[in-house]
Amino acid sequence: MSIIEFKHVTKRYPESGEALSDVSFAIERGEMAFLTGHSGAGKSTLLRLIPVIERPTRGEIIIDGVPIHALQGRRIPYLRRKLGLIFQDYRLLNDRTIFDNVALPLLITGHNPQDIGRRVRAALDKVGLLRKEKRLPPALSGGEKQRVGIARAIVHKPPLILADEPTGNLDRELAEEIMLMFREFNEVGVTVMIASHDLDLVRRFSRRTLRLEQGRLIGVS
Amino acid sequence: MPLQADTRLADRFKAYLSIQQDSLKQSFGRIWQTPVASSLTIFVVAIALALPVSFHALIQNAREPIEALETTSQISLFLKPELSNDVGRALAEKLKKNPVLKGASLMTKEDGLRELGAYSGFGDALAALSSNPLPAVIIVKPAATDADSVSRLLVELKSLPEADLVQFDNEWLQKLQALLAITERTVMAFSILLGFGVLFIVGNTIRLELQNRHEEIAIAKILGATNHFIRRPFIHSGFWYAILGAVLAWVVANLLILGVQEPVNRLAELYGSPYRLSFLRVGDTLILLSIATLLGVSGAWIVVAHFLRKIDAD
Repeated sequence: MSIIEFKHVTKRYPESGEALSDVSFAIERGEMAFLTGHSGAGKSTLLRLIPVIERPTRGEIIIDGVPIHALQGRRIPYLRRKLGLIFQDYRLLNDRTIFDNVALPLLITGHNPQDIGRRVRAALDKVGLLRKEKRLPPALSGGEKQRVGIARAIVHKPPLILADEPTGNLDRELAEEIMLMFREFNEVGVTVMIASHDLDLVRRFSRRTLRLEQGRLIGVS
Repeated sequence: MPLQADTRLADRFKAYLSIQQDSLKQSFGRIWQTPVASSLTIFVVAIALALPVSFHALIQNAREPIEALETTSQISLFLKPELSNDVGRALAEKLKKNPVLKGASLMTKEDGLRELGAYSGFGDALAALSSNPLPAVIIVKPAATDADSVSRLLVELKSLPEADLVQFDNEWLQKLQALLAITERTVMAFSILLGFGVLFIVGNTIRLELQNRHEEIAIAKILGATNHFIRRPFIHSGFWYAILGAVLAWVVANLLILGVQEPVNRLAELYGSPYRLSFLRVGDTLILLSIATLLGVSGAWIVVAHFLRKIDAD
């Protein structure tokens, strides 16, 4: 069964016109897939439709069996809790410790403090930052910040991880390290979808790749 | 099975309480960490609450002696001058039996002359008079002192064949009561205005907090926070601003009362009254705390609700 399904999805902005035109595809449960294209091709728009940060102008989107193109506002938080979101600019809280940043998804779902401590340390251990839990994000390097972002995305064990240009601000070596981390998550059954314009990096992982150009899906390889 | 459901419900309730408690502690911590900004808000809330509360307390205090005065009001029934003291005495006895009256006592013509001589300073001139021109007077104390009963009683007394003039000597008391009522209304109107003030001050402080934590809220929303989760800490901040302001207002109001207590008590002593100025009562204190809490929480709620609607629309 597909975990992500797009059926003839179009997204039009009143100011800038169509960002996505009639896009249809499906990502299977347990798959690791890439989304590529030049900047402005619609990768970010596509990824923003899945957590309902934006809604499609036309078409249907089904996530984990739930049609979300017309999801009620009050249901949106519960959809987002099934997702692990990773951003190019990390989106960390600079005045909170690494521990508190990673704990945020668990606080939101109301876990008890012991449980939070255990899970946050497990997530930080996975990204190799266990010893920096008391630091603030500005004290970390770009690669470390992104690893905090990844720890925050996996701490609540979501079935689906969406990463928007996760290596956009990192050098080659760090980027590869991050990608290997995603592959590890995928190997334990998590579905991973990564938007990236770094075609070399994408090619080396030889996974299914959706290519967007000017809002249209021009190929799957 | 139902037992299990109960425990689960109890657990969830316990979890809910512990979340609320943690959040209350955290919002207090945040207020504590920004002492200058927070105390500004708390001081303004305190002043806005202290003014109506102290005025209210002073009015409450003034009402007691005025109500005590009311019960001492009396009517002077001047008899026709040709009637003798004996006729007056008989009438006084008759009036005493009337249930609408608390008492009736005769002031004879001679009593009247003596009193006039003593108080007016015309003693010598009065002594030169060949006959006593003063009428006998019956001092009547009404049982009920409200305006309706008193005016009904006045009509009744005027219709007595023996009556010449009926004088109800509490017009000044009625004026005082009217003045008190006006003051009460004014204080009420100002209280409502200042109450809105508290609502706006807390609301504005929360608005600034929301702006400062805009990024944090945006991230929490993307990670699946419900509006309830986002609202909670701000509602709790509103609660703290209001309750701390109210406690300070309570102290300020009592200090104001303490300030005027000594001269008021001395005045009461001079009048031989056992009356003493009192501090804010427990009931009034509870009302102050609950109204303040209501205002603070509503102020925060309105602002956060508006903010969330705006974010959701973006």
